[in-house]
Amino acid sequence: MTSQTAASAHLRNVNKFYGPFQALKDVSLDIPPGKVTCLIGPSGSGKSTLLRCINVLELYDSGEVRIDDQLIGYDSPGGKVMAANRLREMRREIGMVFQQFNLWPHMTALQNVAEGLERVRGLKRPEAQARAREALAKVGLADKEDNHPSHLSGGQQQRVAIARAIAMEPRIMLFDEPTSALDPELVGEVLGVMKQLAAEGMTMVVVTHEMGFAAHVADRVVFMERGEIVATGSPRDVFNNPTDPRLASFLQGYRERNSLDF
Amino acid sequence: MTEIIQRYGPDLLTGFGYTILSWALGTLLGLVLGFMIEIARRFGPAFLRYPIRAYVEFVRGTPFLVQLFVLYYGGPLIGLRLDALPAGILGLTIYGSAYFTEILRAGFDAVPVGQVEAARAIGFRNTTIITRIMVPVMMVSALPALVNFAIILTKETVILSMITVPEIMFQTQTMMSETFAFVAPILILALFFWGFVELISRFGRRLERRFTHYLLDRS
Amino acid sequence: MFSFQTIVENFPVLLGSARYTLLISVLGCIEGLILGAVICAAALSNKRWMRRIAALYVSFFRGVPLLIQLLAAYYLLPVIGINVPALAAAVLTVGLCAAAYLSEVLRGSLNAIPQGQAEAAAAIGMAPRDVWIRILLPQALKIGLPAIVNELILLVKASSLVTVVGIVEITRMSQSIAAATYRPLEIYLAAAFIYLVINLVIAQAGRMLERRLTV
Repeated sequence: MTSQTAASAHLRNVNKFYGPFQALKDVSLDIPPGKVTCLIGPSGSGKSTLLRCINVLELYDSGEVRIDDQLIGYDSPGGKVMAANRLREMRREIGMVFQQFNLWPHMTALQNVAEGLERVRGLKRPEAQARAREALAKVGLADKEDNHPSHLSGGQQQRVAIARAIAMEPRIMLFDEPTSALDPELVGEVLGVMKQLAAEGMTMVVVTHEMGFAAHVADRVVFMERGEIVATGSPRDVFNNPTDPRLASFLQGYRERNSLDF
Repeated sequence: MTEIIQRYGPDLLTGFGYTILSWALGTLLGLVLGFMIEIARRFGPAFLRYPIRAYVEFVRGTPFLVQLFVLYYGGPLIGLRLDALPAGILGLTIYGSAYFTEILRAGFDAVPVGQVEAARAIGFRNTTIITRIMVPVMMVSALPALVNFAIILTKETVILSMITVPEIMFQTQTMMSETFAFVAPILILALFFWGFVELISRFGRRLERRFTHYLLDRS
Repeated sequence: MFSFQTIVENFPVLLGSARYTLLISVLGCIEGLILGAVICAAALSNKRWMRRIAALYVSFFRGVPLLIQLLAAYYLLPVIGINVPALAAAVLTVGLCAAAYLSEVLRGSLNAIPQGQAEAAAAIGMAPRDVWIRILLPQALKIGLPAIVNELILLVKASSLVTVVGIVEITRMSQSIAAATYRPLEIYLAAAFIYLVINLVIAQAGRMLERRLTV
């Protein structure tokens, strides 16, 4: 299904304010194509904001965000806000999975996945549904296509949400704490689907509290605090040899809470 | 008695027809206008918000009867010359729109932000987000109030008799003034509305179940 | 031409007629509250026939348009030998109708009162009637205040219908003035304005009262 080439994303000196509060401070980051980048850090550190600036669910105030070499959000650096239809076109390339799943409650699993194919990609219903079935099969939910979200477990809902995103054939996928709203025993099935996607060479940006997932699946780990990128590196560097004291204390706190080794 | 039925039966039936017609059209058009007002308020330019608020406050703060008088008797002074029936239906439309728009506003407010964001992230255009996501989701919370107000509107239709719309109340009053029989006609009229309102409530509850089935029947 | 002159000249008379509008709505609301409390008690009774009667009452008075209820009172009361002045008939009918709505308001408010309130009162040996009047109703009135204020506003608007039984409140007065001056647009807009101001004042007073009660 991922026939298209994986995209890269590039942030240059991105700033984002909420009133007087600065959520992102001059953030620069390159997301390489076909790799998994995990964003970790304490809550309120700006990870989710950074993620949401990549598909411009939050419009950044200054700096540049590019998908491959195409600027998103503004017509030109420091220029006018991008036209809505142009932004929609670019968003088709960017899949997103939310913490709260955000499935549409009035549609079945199949309809949730097919809706975007019909309305955005302009496919005829039979074809949209055929592709939606493929996507559902891929996340292991072929038998649940007629269920409404209220009749699915949290893990199943999140897998439908992933199917909804991958059915659009995105070239990059954003995950905003995809397992944080799940009961512990349901986390595994969602992470499993994500690992499979990573193995297929999808560009993935994952905001997560699952250090185990970050340690084992990420190609690169980015640690943020107070709107800044404090440390980046391979999982081995970040988790085993934290040089930055803030990163070290964050990991220490995490280990104490979970009494885990990685 | 049979004589009275023969003499007035057709008129009463006609009146009944006008009651249904004005209620159905008033509700439908009121809902459409109310929806458009809410869309304008929510997605339109900011300068529209103040006049919309004034409109809603005025309509909700004044009696329907007085609104009808303004429209029907006052209208011609500003070139709005309407027959009683269209004036009545327009009156119901305006009256309904102000209430419907407030119900819809609360409904839109209750749609979880995330569900709209998910649609935006996929690249839906605004019209698609409104028609395919927001309206169906909103219906769950707004439908009981919408049905309830549609029921209230059935009862407002009798006020159209005061600007000589020949609906059921008007026909009954004509009959009473000619036959001097009061008891039976009033009782029949009361029973008619009681039944009518019950009927619509039942229908409304079925409609609610249809819209919310995906939340209720756990399979 | 829109004639402000007409409005200015007739405004005092129109405003004077507002006292009947207020009289009918306020008395109707009080009657509705008292009767509504009784109906609400019946609706919550453990006797099935009382619940039935309450349900029937609510369904009837909410199902039949007020205009028809008013005509019924006007024409039917004399038939069964009750001769009351039009004003009393109007207040009575408006109150009967309001009681149906207010009983539902009170029922909803009572449901919002924690179970323990009534139990605590019963535990110290209060009679059921005292539990109702001393403990439950005052709390229900407070919780239901926004809805009761809203009902009063509805009554102010509904009182325009008592024109049909010949009481010269705002609407009836504006009809006469409109007929005499041939300026219906101005006069009816002026009448609408008076209603609007009354209702805005009631709404504001309600909000202030609410704030005071919650402190």
